[in-house]
Amino acid sequence: MSRRTAVVIAPGRGVYNASELGYFNRFHQDKSDLIKGFDAVRAALGQESLERLDGAARYAVAKFTRGDNASGLIYTCSYADFLDIDRDAFDIVAATGNSMGWYSALACAGALSADNGFHVVNTMGAIMQDALIGGQMIYPFVDEDWREIDGGRHALLKLIDETPGLYVSIHLGGMLVLAGTPEALDVAEKRLPRVQERYPMRLANHAAFHTKLQRPTAEKGRATLPASLFQQPQTPLIDGRGAVWLPKACDLNALWSYTLGAQVIEPYDFTRAITVAMREFAPDVFILLGPGMTLGGATAQSMIADGWRGLASKSDFIDMQKKAPRLLAMGAPEQRGIATNGAPQD
Amino acid sequence: MDRAEIVHQNFLTRVRHGDLPSTALTTLAQADLTPTDLVELFHAQVLSRQLDRTSRHLQAKGQGFYTIGSSGHEGNAAIAWALRPNDMAFLHYRDAAFQIARSRQVPGQTPLWDMLLSFTAGADDPISGGRHKVLGSKTLYIPPQTSTIASHLPKAVGAAYSIGLARKVKPSNPPLSADGIVLCSFGDASLNHSTAQGALNTASWTAYQSTPLPLLFVCEDNGLGISVKTPKDWVEASVSTRPGLRYVQCDGLDVVATFAAARETAEWVRKRKKPAFLHMRCVRLYGHAGPDAASAYLSKVEIEADEARDPLLFTARRLIDEGVMTPAEIAAAYEAEGARVARAAETAAARPKLKSANDVIASLIPPKRETPERPRPSANIRTATFSDADIRAMAEPQHMAKLINFALTDLLLEHHDIVLAGEDIGRKGGVYGVTQKLQKRFGAHRVVDTLLDEQSILGLGVGLAHNDILAIPEIQFLAYLHNAEDQLRGEAATLPFFSNGQYTNPIVVRIAGLGYQKGFGGHFHNDNSIAVMRDIPGLIIACPSNGRDAALMLRECVRLAREEQRLIVFLEPIALYMTRDLHETGDGGWTFDYPTPTDDATTPIGAIGTHNEAATDLAIVSYANGYYLSRQAEKILHKEDGVNAKVIDLRWLAPLPEQALLEATKDCKKILIVDECRRTGSQSEALTTLFLENGRIDVARVAAEDSFIATGPAYGATLPSRDGIIAAARALLKEPSR
Repeated sequence: MSRRTAVVIAPGRGVYNASELGYFNRFHQDKSDLIKGFDAVRAALGQESLERLDGAARYAVAKFTRGDNASGLIYTCSYADFLDIDRDAFDIVAATGNSMGWYSALACAGALSADNGFHVVNTMGAIMQDALIGGQMIYPFVDEDWREIDGGRHALLKLIDETPGLYVSIHLGGMLVLAGTPEALDVAEKRLPRVQERYPMRLANHAAFHTKLQRPTAEKGRATLPASLFQQPQTPLIDGRGAVWLPKACDLNALWSYTLGAQVIEPYDFTRAITVAMREFAPDVFILLGPGMTLGGATAQSMIADGWRGLASKSDFIDMQKKAPRLLAMGAPEQRGIATNGAPQD
Repeated sequence: MDRAEIVHQNFLTRVRHGDLPSTALTTLAQADLTPTDLVELFHAQVLSRQLDRTSRHLQAKGQGFYTIGSSGHEGNAAIAWALRPNDMAFLHYRDAAFQIARSRQVPGQTPLWDMLLSFTAGADDPISGGRHKVLGSKTLYIPPQTSTIASHLPKAVGAAYSIGLARKVKPSNPPLSADGIVLCSFGDASLNHSTAQGALNTASWTAYQSTPLPLLFVCEDNGLGISVKTPKDWVEASVSTRPGLRYVQCDGLDVVATFAAARETAEWVRKRKKPAFLHMRCVRLYGHAGPDAASAYLSKVEIEADEARDPLLFTARRLIDEGVMTPAEIAAAYEAEGARVARAAETAAARPKLKSANDVIASLIPPKRETPERPRPSANIRTATFSDADIRAMAEPQHMAKLINFALTDLLLEHHDIVLAGEDIGRKGGVYGVTQKLQKRFGAHRVVDTLLDEQSILGLGVGLAHNDILAIPEIQFLAYLHNAEDQLRGEAATLPFFSNGQYTNPIVVRIAGLGYQKGFGGHFHNDNSIAVMRDIPGLIIACPSNGRDAALMLRECVRLAREEQRLIVFLEPIALYMTRDLHETGDGGWTFDYPTPTDDATTPIGAIGTHNEAATDLAIVSYANGYYLSRQAEKILHKEDGVNAKVIDLRWLAPLPEQALLEATKDCKKILIVDECRRTGSQSEALTTLFLENGRIDVARVAAEDSFIATGPAYGATLPSRDGIIAAARALLKEPSR
């Protein structure tokens, strides 16, 4: 059987929630060396053990969503999931990620070693937590059936234009992540009508990622994390602008500069990354690394917006997933099975 | 075996066996290229090649519609790499690798997908919207055109000229940067087109007098024009000694050498603001296009010699020699790219296509755009600009030439980014004085005396439009348009069509024309054929019959260009420029007050002029000189026959104001069309058709003979006359109604 082509997607912050507690332990007991290695680094920095966090009896928002905890936890789970993909069944033709998932994608593609990837993630998570500049909020411009609401996106962008200190943080499928100063987020919260019972949704312990408010974070990151950590990837990478980084063709200084520069302070366009992946790599499937699978919605919305393989609606997507899933979320047991064992196939 | 397949197999076999050619005279370091740059260029070349192969597979399956490839020309990837991604590039149709390499300089591009949609005519093709296979991208500063006959070179000269001009006229949103350069590429066979030669000459002429022209011509010389061989060393012999034009050669088989030459030359062009000609030698693989079998005109030895010089083989050799990739890695990358293209092709081919006529024509007319309201110049500035004599003259009725001159002055005052260009329009003030004093008032940069080449004049207009400068070029005589009309037809008018309205080139072309100059000039100064413009989709033709209309319509044309991005011809009837009287000597019936810009009067597109609104016996439908003569005829018909005739001035010849005409003539018993253009192909044919199709059968026409116009006493013999109109009207009125 010929291998199917796959693009790997690494999720960002906010995907390790109560239901993901114990994720690493559940799926990756064979990789205890990996987490212990990372924990050794954390111990030297006086940070909490990831293994203990993952193995905790209870999930505590305040603790688990802290940048210096969440980043390391998520990276470790994502990277471990990546190692579990059945490479005899899947030819990984590109890797991408959302927000912090970019660091994970760099490691999956080989542009950072596993350890260096962890070092970057953990360092950036800690820097952000220390400063915790501003916050993030999520708001949709599609309805519950993922149909675009006329003028919805435009209205959100207009609100951002009109509100000092408010920025686009992430283009996330049918949603925009807004970021800004606490005052700006308050204004937005007041002006945005409440929809789908949960939006506008403030994200706990998230800073104003991907905005110019993060300039100090980016500067600290560049001062702490040298370009020498980076190496040529083995797999093409698609970044948060939709730019493709090719193996052996990467200017490593440019990759470093983007990762700890524009990527931190400019809007992150996850939608564009997925669009580029669909158009330029035409994979048979997308594999969404865990933990969790909340990024699946934004990924599917990006697919529908581009009419990928004829998808025009949420129900088309659900049908496709039922018949022969093309978005394999490793946080979903059945789909994880396909990703790790290579079956079934359409 | 198909030659494309042979070239493909050759590549893999020769790479695997390390049997690779080399011309490595320039090192990476000398070229200031890194190993990662080399890999990028290799990828661009391979993607271009695999797209060529896939285009043939798509065509074989009935899913693709274009097979003219870039194979053998992929060295142009290095030229893209040597330029900035916002250096505007008017590309040769074999420049896929250029566009791919450029797309790698701008984040978020999807070159593979975009090209596949273009091959398969997908409605979401981002450049043409599925209308046409063109290279092009708004983001990448690559305006689309077909480029088959080098007709894109004059506008490239114009665009390059605009860069220096923009410093002075300061357009509101110039897309080109002040230190940008413009590139145009073409083949060695296209170099022989008069259009290419004219553009080279204009570039030389411009640079020779030290006018800034940062333009890089790139001639991609594969030695063949479909089947005809270019004489050995012809390109070099033809171009290398032109004045004001630097000539540089490079070996397009070697990306490193090509990059080095292109970078050095491009930076020279950028710094010196002078044109250069980069002569890139390359090969053409697999014939001209899919169905073309090169074996019909080349020997097997010749074909194989070219195939042995496949530029990808040279790049592979470089990669191995530099220790960047192993032969196995090169072969694997090449095959992986092939697989990627094939996968994407399957998806792209399934995308929706255009279906209806409405789908296709949707982009003929460009979208409207927001333009900021411009404050009117103060009365003081206006008074200071016009001469005292002109200010005094404005208080009196004037002839058309003077009123156009006033209107141009006011437009130049109001819009700092309008530039006039043409033969003798500056120092001389135009052969009929229409542009008198304008250069003195606004400077030689805004009222440009051009060389004598209509292709270059129109190309200048198109090129300036690419940098948000509104050109009002002048064609001195209508007959001179004809050698240059493709700049309107094939270039300017097609731009919104090929770009799905993303690129536009609003221009107002003033053309002095039509007949009736008493005994002067003959055909070349009295041409009465505009058929060549009437069928150009999207083109507006305005044609005033009197000075007041001329001033108002010229303002409307500028508005249409600025706000609606339209391409417009403003046809001025020469014989009426100085005409003062209508019925009798000294009656001043054809002089008019100048409608100043502060008047609210307008003559919007589609608004016809009507004399004797209430008349119903007869409608005479005409324009320009024909309208003028019809007005004379109307008076006599009334006086001598008691006929009440309505006289209608079309004003707008394209699009025809159909509804307004039908409405204005509906109560008239009979319709007489008076057309000073020839019977064949003229407005009168369209008008007759319009009326007949709408149930008006009592229609007759008076039109010019299908003849050229004579010099001397017979100047008007072939044209409609006042008495001829009267006779035709009487005859028509005498006929029983049908």
